[in-house]
Amino acid sequence: MANSNLPRRIIKETQRLLSEPAPGISASPSEENMRYFNVMILGPSQSPYEGGVFKLELFLPEEYPMAAPKVRFLTKIYHPNIDKLGRICLDILKDKWSPALQIRTVLLSIQALLSAPNPDDPLSENIAKHWKTNEAEAVETAKEWTRLYASGA
Amino acid sequence: MDSEDDMHDANSVDDDYYSGDTAADYCSDDDCGDYEFMDHDFEDPHDIVAKHQQKNYVVLNEADIRQRQEDDITTVSTVLSIPRVAASILLCHYHWSVSNVHEAWFADEDRIRKTVGLLERPVQFSNAKLLTCGICFESYPLDRISTAACGHPFCSTCWKSYMRTSIDGGPGCLMLRCPDPSCSAAVGQDMISRLASDDDKGKYARYLLRSYIEDNRKTKWCPAPGCEYAVEFVVGSGGYDVACSCSYGFCWNCTEEAHRPVDCSTVAKWIMKNSAESENMNWILANSKPCPKCKRPIEKNQGCMHMTCTPPCKFEFCWLCLGAWTDHGERTGGFYACNRYEAAKQEGAYDETERRREMAKNSLERYTHYYERWATNQSSRQKALADLQQMQNVHLEKLSDRQSQPESQLKFIIEAWLQIVECRRVLKWTYAYGYYLSEDEHAKRQFFEYLQGEAEAGLERLHQCAEKDLQNYLTAEPPPNDFNDFRTKLAGLTSVTRNYFENLVRALENGLSDVDTRGGCSNTAASSKGGAGGKGKSGRGKAASKTGGPNDDSQRQIASLFLFVLPLGWLLLQKL
Repeated sequence: MANSNLPRRIIKETQRLLSEPAPGISASPSEENMRYFNVMILGPSQSPYEGGVFKLELFLPEEYPMAAPKVRFLTKIYHPNIDKLGRICLDILKDKWSPALQIRTVLLSIQALLSAPNPDDPLSENIAKHWKTNEAEAVETAKEWTRLYASGA
Repeated sequence: MDSEDDMHDANSVDDDYYSGDTAADYCSDDDCGDYEFMDHDFEDPHDIVAKHQQKNYVVLNEADIRQRQEDDITTVSTVLSIPRVAASILLCHYHWSVSNVHEAWFADEDRIRKTVGLLERPVQFSNAKLLTCGICFESYPLDRISTAACGHPFCSTCWKSYMRTSIDGGPGCLMLRCPDPSCSAAVGQDMISRLASDDDKGKYARYLLRSYIEDNRKTKWCPAPGCEYAVEFVVGSGGYDVACSCSYGFCWNCTEEAHRPVDCSTVAKWIMKNSAESENMNWILANSKPCPKCKRPIEKNQGCMHMTCTPPCKFEFCWLCLGAWTDHGERTGGFYACNRYEAAKQEGAYDETERRREMAKNSLERYTHYYERWATNQSSRQKALADLQQMQNVHLEKLSDRQSQPESQLKFIIEAWLQIVECRRVLKWTYAYGYYLSEDEHAKRQFFEYLQGEAEAGLERLHQCAEKDLQNYLTAEPPPNDFNDFRTKLAGLTSVTRNYFENLVRALENGLSDVDTRGGCSNTAASSKGGAGGKGKSGRGKAASKTGGPNDDSQRQIASLFLFVLPLGWLLLQKL
């Protein structure tokens, strides 16, 4: 199994994620594949996602940490930088990735993205448009979706 | 030096007849470059391309490029009193413009240092014996840890893979920064040399060299396949045609092959047109009809009007009226006519589609006309290039033996071939020019076609002489003894043809404005004949653009122009 020659860095990161989890975030590796993590992020307070529990998956590719982890939302979410497949538009997951970043920093950044949607750099054109033309209404929809899809976990 | 004297004679005769305009041109524009050209060794076929202007470009080989890059780095390093690595990083950011680096640096050094990532504060190394690598989180003794100017510690192994990832990602590696996301400290070639694998060091050095050419406003790689030379061009100095040391001539501006006198946008349009799908569509429109049932285009290349579409459709129909064949037979006119179609045509039923098809066909024929001539001259030029090589490498020596003449006395043959190669190139592009020359500009078109025709005829004579006549002297036994006559003839033809083409090039480059300003032209001709020398030309150029004469007497103007050019041919014929 690939787990046998897991780089020490990944083992260290995993241990630290489990022993001192970041507030509002949990990440645990799958038993079959230590490079695959089940992630849960709590909707930040004072955001339309407050009270929601969002499931994500995170995968560390072979080149990690030279290449960024692959992350995606499994829970449906109404957010201008996240599309309907759960893909996330976040610079550190693409060209701004640095090997000095970690799983923890990535998940904290995603949590921050929930607090501060950025409709100027959208992944979902429609939601971004909604956000820019009628923010109050868009926020309502986001709250609605949080209630509908992110409360059961 | 017989041959060259002959050439000079021939030239001066032309010049007189060319109203002194040509002579003035030589001396004012080229610093008499044309005459210099004649005295050159004929080793470099590219000289012929360059001969029209003073060389406003330099061909650089890899050693030259390296040298220039080193020199620029040295300059910046000396002037700013910074290490060479820092100078190199700065130059990279400023597209290798030394003056821009200087300007920016002296305007706001702090800001520049910040954006480029050159930190000024020296690193504070901690006193710890072990440091933790920020990537693999392992602890290492200090000798296994490296840092950029910022001091963020990473181990050698992690640096190596960090550099590999970046270098594999392309030339962006030249702007490498410290891996710490909050840090912008630059990582330069010194660290690469120390920490990257040999393979990566090589790639990095390659990118650095390429950057010097590709990011520099003044330099470009020669676009010929496999060629490793670059060309530095003095921007704003006129003609864009350059000749690389690999013998490929190209336009520095658009990097297509050399296309003087036609401008870059015409060439772009023409090349686009040659490759465009639209021409295929045009052909289909002009030469096929859609099957009335399955709509697949069908080309009828022979046979009767009874068409059967290919399986699975298999629809049988009449080519003329596109109706089902079951409605046809003896009573509609048999297999080769269709009176249903004739009748409907009488009523105008087919006009619209027919007219479109007809138009497409005409425009296609027009395009094909120019394209064929363009392509023929292209292949003719390739052939001439090969002949030129053959002449230089094989025949010249043989001829020198047979005619007991030193090879230096046979330069006129090489020169003839160089002229042929160049003329084929110009002629080729004039067909692209002709295609885009508006049909409505009657006078211009006539003038253009006249010039082109004359030039082409001259070139054919020259080509014929260099190709066929020369064979005699190479193969006939015993060798003919009229070799000096041949020399005079070939040298004469070379010179006439050059003049024709120079005329053509000049006319096209000033937009054929001569047809409108014939009067101005002859005036200056007189003045420069009277000894005004180089000044005549520039005066004329301006006059031509200012005074756009009325179009209605352009016919007369052309006629007098013809009279004006003709005696030249006459005189030469007599001379031969």
